Amino acid sequence: MSSSDKNPQASDLPTNQQTPTDGDTSADNSAESKGTTHFGYKTIEKDDKISMVAGVFHSVAKQYDVMNDLMSFGIHRLWKRFTIDASGVRPGNTVLDLAGGTGDLTAKFSQLVGREGKVILADINSSMLNVGRDKLRDKGLVQNIEYVQANAEYLPFEENTFDIVTIAFGLRNVTDKDKALRSIYSVLKPGGRLLILEFSKPEHELLNKAYDFYSFNILPKIGELVAKDGASYQYLAESIRMHPDQETLKSMMDNAGFEQTSFKNLTGGVVALHKGYKF
Amino acid sequence: MRALNNQAFTQISTQLNSKLRDSLLLPQVVTATLELIMNKALALNHNKAISFAELKQKTLTLELAELSFPLSFTVNTSDSSAVVIVRSQTDSSDCTIKTSIKALKKLKAKQSLTQLIKQDELDVSGDIKIAQQFTHITQSLAIDWQSELARHLGDVPTHKLLQFSDKISKSISATAKQIETDISEYLVHEKRLLVTISEVTVFNRQAKELANEVNVISARIDQIFADLAEK
Repeated sequence: MSSSDKNPQASDLPTNQQTPTDGDTSADNSAESKGTTHFGYKTIEKDDKISMVAGVFHSVAKQYDVMNDLMSFGIHRLWKRFTIDASGVRPGNTVLDLAGGTGDLTAKFSQLVGREGKVILADINSSMLNVGRDKLRDKGLVQNIEYVQANAEYLPFEENTFDIVTIAFGLRNVTDKDKALRSIYSVLKPGGRLLILEFSKPEHELLNKAYDFYSFNILPKIGELVAKDGASYQYLAESIRMHPDQETLKSMMDNAGFEQTSFKNLTGGVVALHKGYKF
Repeated sequence: MRALNNQAFTQISTQLNSKLRDSLLLPQVVTATLELIMNKALALNHNKAISFAELKQKTLTLELAELSFPLSFTVNTSDSSAVVIVRSQTDSSDCTIKTSIKALKKLKAKQSLTQLIKQDELDVSGDIKIAQQFTHITQSLAIDWQSELARHLGDVPTHKLLQFSDKISKSISATAKQIETDISEYLVHEKRLLVTISEVTVFNRQAKELANEVNVISARIDQIFADLAEK
């Protein structure tokens, strides 16, 4: 377990990479077997991807919260609330907020588990982790939160550690999602649950078209204007399209060993919350 | 067959409601708003005698008849302050109250919790002390709205605004009272004088019957005149 208090460099650790799936896990496998992967719509060498994804998040970290509010019109707060409501978190629980970024879920979980419980905010990106740590400390949330820089594929925790693991808007940036799901399964306690909040496929064609137009024409411009980085937000839009759809992700969870897996579409399927248990 | 159709309709309607609720995130909008209001009220409270110690990490769940989803309130305390986290779930409740907004208003009017339970307006399961503590806290909150407004608007505008709102509130309550009196008057006296739909129906039927009888008599008279003319 490496705490971000030591402020390790992102390049010192294994880094998440984006893999194309487009709802088809075979695409994922074929890309890996050739030693290439996808960065948004581009096919690139796996080794190049390490620095490219890290670059995106180092670049957007400071403006991340503002951009989230702007891009989603504040709805991301409601999606996260839905996740908290669905988690069934209780006082005394141990929670892992994976790819927790700037700590929105961690803040709520920290208040709900109380001093007897613990929340670990984990992110592969040191910049994101630093922004999250500063924000939570400013809110006075220090008692029961630990910060860990970790790769979802190689979680540095003992087996059967957590009651709840959440990963919100992070799974699509993981190179080997199947490996990450197996790693999460291993660190969950029996009876524990995984909640994946992620962009998904809109249920209606009309919404899908409007969403596409917004993602590829407006989103990068907002990114350019506010975060001075349109390319990162172009990558964001592309990576969302390459992420597995609802049913595919559910079957990936089943394959990793999760039981009673289910998903709920939010805002017409723009986002979906997947849930699965380890028994 | 009809019962089966009704059952299927209810099932489909429940599923649609639930889908629509999840899609529009209505429970989350409500909980976020409530959380904001409650924590603002707690921050503005001047009654320092209020203690949250016994409610630390305790959850009260409200199941209101008017809402299709539950509201749960969890208190998180730190050394200096307390915050309430509002969620829409029932998983980890220490006390659950099933009631209606109408009954809650009575609770606000200092009617006791046990009294409402006796009147079957409240159904409490779990630790009733938690419900009593929550009620006590909401009744003990002391917020000096005038001072708070003055901090933002200044003394004179606040004074004028409160004077104006007092006048408006008096005028609204006088209008409401007048409407209430008018409605009572209408219900007790004027409504009795009005003709009911069934009375109108009976009248119409009788008028029709009378018209038919007149037609028959008229025809007979015409016939008599015709007979007389022939003779």
